Amino acid sequence: MTTPLISVKDLTLRFKTDEGLVTAVNNVSFDIAPGEVLGLVGESGSGKSVTAKALMMLNADNAVYDEGSKITLNIDGKEHDVLSLKRPAEQMVIRGGAISMIFQEPMASFAPAITIGEQMVEQLMIHSTMTRTEARDISVEMLTRVGIPEPAERFGQYAFEFSGGMRQRAMIAMALSTKPRLLIADEPTTALDVTIQAQVIDLMKDLVAEYHMSILFITHDLGVIAQTADRVAVMYLGNLVETGTVRQVINKPSHPYTRGLLNSLPKLDDLEAPLTPVPGDIPSPLDRPSGCVFHPRCVESGDIAERCRTEIPVTTFGADGHQVDCHLTNPRDQAGDQA
Amino acid sequence: MSDILIRANNLSVHFPLSRVGFGERPVVRACEGINIEIEKGSFFGLVGESGSGKTTLGRAMLKAAPISHGEVIYTDGDVTYDLGSLKGQELKEYRKRSQLIFQDPYAALSPRMTVRDIIAEPLEVMGLTSSREETDTKVREIAAKCRLNLEHLRRFPHAFSGGQRQRISIARALVSDPKFIVADESVAALDVSIQADVLNLLNSIQRERGITFLFISHDLSVIAHTCDFVAVMYLGQIVEAAPTRKLFSETAHPYTRALLSAIPSLDPDVRGNAQKLEGEIPSPINPPPGCRFNTRCPHAQDRCRSEVPEWREMTSGHHVACHFSEELMG
Repeated sequence: MTTPLISVKDLTLRFKTDEGLVTAVNNVSFDIAPGEVLGLVGESGSGKSVTAKALMMLNADNAVYDEGSKITLNIDGKEHDVLSLKRPAEQMVIRGGAISMIFQEPMASFAPAITIGEQMVEQLMIHSTMTRTEARDISVEMLTRVGIPEPAERFGQYAFEFSGGMRQRAMIAMALSTKPRLLIADEPTTALDVTIQAQVIDLMKDLVAEYHMSILFITHDLGVIAQTADRVAVMYLGNLVETGTVRQVINKPSHPYTRGLLNSLPKLDDLEAPLTPVPGDIPSPLDRPSGCVFHPRCVESGDIAERCRTEIPVTTFGADGHQVDCHLTNPRDQAGDQA
Repeated sequence: MSDILIRANNLSVHFPLSRVGFGERPVVRACEGINIEIEKGSFFGLVGESGSGKTTLGRAMLKAAPISHGEVIYTDGDVTYDLGSLKGQELKEYRKRSQLIFQDPYAALSPRMTVRDIIAEPLEVMGLTSSREETDTKVREIAAKCRLNLEHLRRFPHAFSGGQRQRISIARALVSDPKFIVADESVAALDVSIQADVLNLLNSIQRERGITFLFISHDLSVIAHTCDFVAVMYLGQIVEAAPTRKLFSETAHPYTRALLSAIPSLDPDVRGNAQKLEGEIPSPINPPPGCRFNTRCPHAQDRCRSEVPEWREMTSGHHVACHFSEELMG
């Protein structure tokens, strides 16, 4: 087992609000190996983005990390305890150093009154010892690399002059220009058309191979996950309910919620298959259900419903790191599914 | 052929832009030469990328966008409306028969009105009920159909989740008992687990009440599951239209094929064999000559760059606008 690039252990994160402490992330643990793409899936409000932001300490000031929470970053044989980095100067190790992030809405992520090029140069000069000319050369090279035509001309343009797909490419170019070890991509293709989405996904796959980066890929689209990720973590209401290789999770889902998500997707190869929604809505994080957080919407609990309502499920470990938090299901593929 | 509820003949919608210097005034050709027929009681899907003119077409069918050329004819029993020249009392009549469900359930509902008032508003504005009791009965009946209970009616929209809000929007669209509903990206803003629920609701409403839907979406897999008939739009034109099953089994237009293969497969073992489209959708101010898709089409030839492909019926009910469909399929 190689040392993971980043290791999240028992991460619990609450926000102080007027209504009291709101639990956004509850006891979440996962590792990302160097060069690995981990997909993080869940509905809106499940805590995906908050978890990702915790890796870079980007959550708002009212975020409270619980005692036991630990995020360890391993680079060049050195360990960094991310949550203990308090001062901005210390945080440079992660921010713009080992980790970069791209966001969902590419229009909102660029400053509207500064040229794209200036923004790329600015961050390079802050995070490295480059001169302005070097930074400019690298930025233009990165724009070329992500497939932007006439990069030297585009370099001097503003965000509004770029189309949605181009903005997202420029965003990726900017994030990668500092050569991060981990790229956090928060719904990078959600705002794009399918044909453009396909282009961006291809680009990201190429870049991972080329730079040997790890990616934390956040999305609600299981199809995108199936096409990009090596491993998948499924989140529901701040809890990680299932983790495994992409084949384990998509082909043999072990948690009722993962199965529910898959059943509610329209499938092109079987137009007759009925769409089965997951009943009800995701509960408010202010009012977290007791026991298993998914029990009010679970259709499979049946005889053990009472146990699901009262008792918090423990994690069951299966083959190849397949983990499930459910009273009902042990991983179904214990017979050694070689994925 | 059974009854056609609404049809567009050679419909174009143009939006003029302000003049730059001398010369001709530039025009955004949002829709150009559209021919579609929507059968009564059908679920008609309209799919395309953003900027393809789906929403404009939907609005033109509701007389909410200007009709520049061509006509839209609505026929129901003994009433026939030509939307281009519709005004006054007749337009008011048409407004009762046609409704729109919006994309964003967060923006579509007034935060200062209770759910009851939101659903009752069309009834009051159109003068469809004569007393408050009658309005209330009607609101409750429709609300129950959309699985909203009495308790919900007293609350304000902020108290509801996305899926519930979309059900409120649907209830509001249904309350005037329309014959024709345009659903513009009605599930795009919802999570998948909720999306299935709203789609099932729309389908059951259509079956129960025989309402005709024009369902606009960018998501072909959603369209495939809900619609009987699909039209594919690209840069203001319809490039292919067919019954759903036929469109998927006998795809004739290269753009439809590209859209289909761009949908990420759920099978992790089928990676990267998608047929990728290069580039992006061109500007509708200055569309490419000939076939509008020629700049991105992997099969484009000289003829495509000069000659506009004819809108023709390939097989019964299956229309396409491409010079080379037969060769591509062969």
